[in-house]
Amino acid sequence: MDRTLKAISLMLSYPTRELQEAMPEIGGVLASDTRMTAAMRRALRPLVEALRDEDIYDLEEKYVMLFDRSRTLSLNLFEHVHGESRDRGGAMVSLLETYREGGFEPHTSELPDHLPVLLEFLAMRPFAEVQETLADAAHIFEALSERLARRESPYGAVFAGLLQLAGVKADKEAVAELLEQPEVDPNDLEALDAVWEESEVRFGPDPNAGCPQVRDMLSRMDLPATPAAPTPGVAAE
Amino acid sequence: MSHLLDRLNFLQSKELEQFSNGHGQVTRENRDWEDTYRNRWRHDKIVRSTHGVNCTGSCSWKIYVKSGIVTWETQQTDYPRTRPDLPNHEPRGCARGASYSWYLYSANRVKNPLVRGRLLKTWRKMRATMSPIEAWTKLQNDPVLRASYVETRGKGGFVRATWDEATEITAAANAYTTKTYGPDRIFGFSPIPAMSMISYAAGSRYLSLMGGVCMSFYDWYCDLPPASPMIWGEQTDVPESADWYNAGYLLLWGSNVPQTRTPDAHFYTEARYRGTKSAVICPDYSEAAKFGDVWLNVKQGTDAALGMAFGHVILREFHLDRQAEYFENYCRKYSDFPMLVKLEEKDGRLVPGRFLRADDLDGKLGEENNPEWKTIAWDETSGGLVAPNGSIGYRWGEQGEWNLEEKAKEAETNLKMSLIMEEDHDDVLGVDFPYFGGDATEPFATDADHPEVLTRNIPVKSLKTADGEIKVATVFDLYCANYGLDRNLGGDWVAKDYDDEMPGTPAWAEKITGVPREKIIHVAREFAQNAEKTEGKSMVIIGAAMNHWYHMDMNYRGVINMLVMCGCVGQSGGGWAHYVGQEKLRPQTGWQPLAFALDWGRPPRHMNSTSAWYAHTDQWRYETLEAEEILSPTRPEGDWDINLIDYNVRAERMGWLPSAPQLKTNPLEVAKQAKAAGKDIPAFVAEQLKSGELEMSCEDPDAPENWPRNLFVWRSNLLGSSGKGHEYFLKHLLGTDHGVMGKDLGEEGRQLPKEAKWHKDGPRGKLDLLVTIDFRMSTTAVYADIVLPTASWYEKNDLNTSDMHPFIHPLQAAVDPAYESKSDWEIFKAIAKKVQEVAPEILGQETDIVALPLLHDTPAEVAQDQVKDWKKGECDLIPGKTAPNYIPVERDYTAIYDRFVALGPLLDKLGNGGKGINWNTEHEVQHLRDLNGEWKDGPAKGCAKIVTDIDATEVVLMLAPETNGEVAVKAWDALSQNTGLDHTHLALPKEEEKIRFRDIAAQPRKIISSPTWSGLESEHVCYNAGYTNVHELIPWRTLTGRQQLYQDHLWMRAFGEGFMSYRPPVDLKTINKDVQDDGDTLHLNFITPHQKWGIHSTYSDNLLMLTLNRGGPVIWISENDAKKANIVDNDWVELYNTNGALTARAVVSQRMKDGTTFMYHAQEKIVNTPGSEKTGKRGGIHNSVTRTVLKPTHMIGGYAQQSYGFNYYGTVGANRDEFVVVRKMKNVDWLDREATQKEAAE
Repeated sequence: MDRTLKAISLMLSYPTRELQEAMPEIGGVLASDTRMTAAMRRALRPLVEALRDEDIYDLEEKYVMLFDRSRTLSLNLFEHVHGESRDRGGAMVSLLETYREGGFEPHTSELPDHLPVLLEFLAMRPFAEVQETLADAAHIFEALSERLARRESPYGAVFAGLLQLAGVKADKEAVAELLEQPEVDPNDLEALDAVWEESEVRFGPDPNAGCPQVRDMLSRMDLPATPAAPTPGVAAE
Repeated sequence: MSHLLDRLNFLQSKELEQFSNGHGQVTRENRDWEDTYRNRWRHDKIVRSTHGVNCTGSCSWKIYVKSGIVTWETQQTDYPRTRPDLPNHEPRGCARGASYSWYLYSANRVKNPLVRGRLLKTWRKMRATMSPIEAWTKLQNDPVLRASYVETRGKGGFVRATWDEATEITAAANAYTTKTYGPDRIFGFSPIPAMSMISYAAGSRYLSLMGGVCMSFYDWYCDLPPASPMIWGEQTDVPESADWYNAGYLLLWGSNVPQTRTPDAHFYTEARYRGTKSAVICPDYSEAAKFGDVWLNVKQGTDAALGMAFGHVILREFHLDRQAEYFENYCRKYSDFPMLVKLEEKDGRLVPGRFLRADDLDGKLGEENNPEWKTIAWDETSGGLVAPNGSIGYRWGEQGEWNLEEKAKEAETNLKMSLIMEEDHDDVLGVDFPYFGGDATEPFATDADHPEVLTRNIPVKSLKTADGEIKVATVFDLYCANYGLDRNLGGDWVAKDYDDEMPGTPAWAEKITGVPREKIIHVAREFAQNAEKTEGKSMVIIGAAMNHWYHMDMNYRGVINMLVMCGCVGQSGGGWAHYVGQEKLRPQTGWQPLAFALDWGRPPRHMNSTSAWYAHTDQWRYETLEAEEILSPTRPEGDWDINLIDYNVRAERMGWLPSAPQLKTNPLEVAKQAKAAGKDIPAFVAEQLKSGELEMSCEDPDAPENWPRNLFVWRSNLLGSSGKGHEYFLKHLLGTDHGVMGKDLGEEGRQLPKEAKWHKDGPRGKLDLLVTIDFRMSTTAVYADIVLPTASWYEKNDLNTSDMHPFIHPLQAAVDPAYESKSDWEIFKAIAKKVQEVAPEILGQETDIVALPLLHDTPAEVAQDQVKDWKKGECDLIPGKTAPNYIPVERDYTAIYDRFVALGPLLDKLGNGGKGINWNTEHEVQHLRDLNGEWKDGPAKGCAKIVTDIDATEVVLMLAPETNGEVAVKAWDALSQNTGLDHTHLALPKEEEKIRFRDIAAQPRKIISSPTWSGLESEHVCYNAGYTNVHELIPWRTLTGRQQLYQDHLWMRAFGEGFMSYRPPVDLKTINKDVQDDGDTLHLNFITPHQKWGIHSTYSDNLLMLTLNRGGPVIWISENDAKKANIVDNDWVELYNTNGALTARAVVSQRMKDGTTFMYHAQEKIVNTPGSEKTGKRGGIHNSVTRTVLKPTHMIGGYAQQSYGFNYYGTVGANRDEFVVVRKMKNVDWLDREATQKEAAE
């Protein structure tokens, strides 16, 4: 088993006393994994220490506030990919089938797209496949990492770590797109206003702008005819 | 995968086989790629379910499931077909329902039981050494510990808990409260059972076994129109939407069908193809207005004036100048028009008094049974006075004459409606009528000048009795005078001409309502013409816009009067269609035993929520409306100068309204004292109340003994949606941050209550524990101490019915509940089990005492024909007669769970029933033992099992006449005994039909006709209210037994509402110098209609719906009003008054009427709500600027149709008379930075 991935799966699960007791061992695993840079391993230390030392109720309250109640920090990956779309059900079914093909039956009340579930599954897979899967979600990790950093939460380091393991740089546009989305959690309301704001509706033709559909069509026709390489993202499966 | 490698690009095989003349060919290449498309729409199963939200839709949906995950939903289209010439029901559904599957896997979902971190930390620490009961006791008795979690309500700080812990805390709190204060301090609030009746029953069954309080909702939501019980003795009964199609004339009055009744709206469209004409009455250019052939843009809150003018035209043209034969016959048989009213003298002037009763006459007309409850009319056949059949006196104590045959006992009669002819009256006398139009506040005032009393001439008959001469007049003659019609009797305040500006005429109404008189005359005339030609097929669809005003009764009575005058009620395609929060719990009588544990103990504790919240959230401490402002100038002598809360106290004392809590002393203790004293419980309580040893809780709501201590909220968003006076809830009930800006009566130096005890400081934080059960993190969940995650509507089995169609529909568990959630049924089972574990430490088998008000549809409804208060010495305290009854109920706190999951023995012993009839049910109970299994031992030995939610549905379906033909026949037979007419023919053809859960899972099933309801389900007519009254001659359950347009109770007369009239909105005085900032000058009437983007608050946090709206709270204002305050579209604005403040964006629209602002309810404050500059707190919800105000006439009890029933009669939570200051916000502050840092520091 890839103990680093398993460690991260545990650290992203709801904090328990058992986890707190296991933190020295988990810290050791992370500190010795040379797939991550020394700087990265250092960056993970504050979370390891926090999980080890802080009052369990404080940890729990923070976890609920961050991951249960803040939609933009949801650990259910498809929240960030499909959001409210009905495609989400179908995507979860595919992921479930992936687990089954890999020889595992999910045995949890969490949904298949819950990140700790996925990480535990990946911990049992060849590293090449792990990297491929993590790369698909790179833009989500990047965005989560940045959002958590904004809140000065030590959890952010975990996602940076996952990016290093994936061995890719997240697609900038995809990250930017995610980060543009509003923060709708109970505490960070700052970004809300700008994002919820609707674009201005104008009635009648604007003499300076063409029909948007036609413009988009024309720009697509400008692209080379050969199919582009598949864009990274879980949605592409 | 592209399959590029598998496909041939350049070659084609030569071995191709062809078929269909070369149109088809067989290929040998790999076709796996096609599976992608096949898989996309492949699913494992389709399950029928619906959305159990409070929308009356009950739409059938197909839920698609693949590998245990819901993938999408589509509308079902397999409703049973309708009969020829009636459009089919389907497709039903709307954009809101179609976006539901999102909730299942939403990040908003509550995943685990959550407990306030500080509470759980303390709890675990104490539990290390103490029992659950000891731990909770210690926690409650330590003010610091209690405050540590109470004061953080609504400010985050949840941690996950196990089910075991969360239910243990709840159970310990409930047991402690029962022992310390009494079980009537445990409250539970859940609305509208029809939408998921088993989930409702789960909580109410638990509460009822404990002795807890089930709180009403229909009245609290202000969706109950008290005019319906007043006139018909019926909570609300309405036609199904298919019956709109049968109407010839449809009047939409304050109802927005295309927006709020989306799945039914097609019948409205289809009716227009059939040629039905439609008029729409609403202040704004609504979605419905577009459908109207004519739109009357009435000024908001003045509908009653319009109703009067309509009535004026109808009376003039169809009853007086010409007597339409159909209308005359209908009114004689089915209305109180022929009944005689005594004219009472006050200061030498005459005012309409009580109905003449047999009791008033010498020899009582030979009536020995209930002569004081038999009304009297003049009979042309015998040329004398008669007591016509059907009045309420015939309903109780005798059998066979309670019917609407034109008879008095066995004698044929022909009642006289008017004494206008010379030979019929002895005199023409002036009678006084109150006029309230002059009381209008500035926004509603006109330049017309009328006195507050209008004296009009009436034809009067004199009767000689031993007690002296009595002057009487018919209801009809008084009624015509009330509408201001000149009948050539001379005198003032009556009009011949529609252009006279006399109260009642179209010209008068034009000034008040802004609707041109020609339009009023036109619509009234067409409405009545159609009704005359079609024998009653004119219909009024009426909505919340009419009912949410303080004087809603006047609006509604205006409408109902029109319908009765035109013979529309009880006719297919006619009548009223009130669709506001009114979901028909079709199998009601089968459901009640399950829901209120009537199988184990009777009666349950029911409470009217409006009065309860008014008292317990201390909204009464801020009351600005004085009785003097609403009393009639013609009122009888009496002690009327008291506060509104005092009226409520008197009503509770006289047994009119229920009480919760009931007595200041724990009822378990009172029972022990009674036993110790060797006394009968009711007699003991009466004696102690009289001596003052016992005190009713209502007399001192702020004493800690009288606080509600535990509150369950499930299937509801009390704080985020329906909580009128939201900020008062936060301040007093919860004890956390709030935005109340007004001062209480003491600080203001106003008149203090006389009956309710005043404490200088209002208490904060009355609740020990708030448990919210929900699947999403609603506003109520955010304020809870414990949040329990419940199954959503695709994850549980349940039943769902609606008044909009006649089918019974299932909710089904398409998938298991996600995360840690459980169905409501399983949650309350778990709590019951915990109570059974922890309670025996302090509780065992106990005797509880339930205070029962004088209930409608029971013999107690004829308890008080006169108003007498025992406390003032006007009569003796007789439980169940002059005061509430005090009934012992045995509880077993060691067997709460065992009782929960078993159908108790009382059904075998006492039978089942409802609405005044009762039938034996042994056969059905045995069937349930056979079907569900039987407990072989334990406290419920020999009882049928109710373990699963499906077991529970079977109990309902088996016991209800609507779903069990055999029971239906028994029920009709029971009613036949009372009426003396045989009604069983209505159900006999269906006697063998029994609907079970799996039947409705296969296809929605039409219910069987039952006497619980006043309409029929058949192959010939659509369901319509009052149908069996008209066609089966079953009396309305009123004093006169007829549709009663005159109300004669003392309090009705005192408040000037004997007859319908126009009463302008009341002045709530919530904008004053203290609260208003300089420069803020825009005052608007605050209106909260139903929205398009959600059902109440549900879906309002759904991104799909937020995107269709503006993505957060909005208000609507007119262009002119916006200009006055320099507001442009999409600006952030703040609305405030003394009740609190809210923030929202402005939608500036031409469709709005000047002077009003709409805030569609209910937009959650968890989404996109910045801070208020006024309060410094986060902006509130729509209810932050409201406060509920009680109306004394809604408290009347023990008086025929004006008797209490759960959700049937009682005070209602009106909120539309409110005004707010609207201003543009200077700074939009999200209050995020400081809060985040502060929390990080904690």
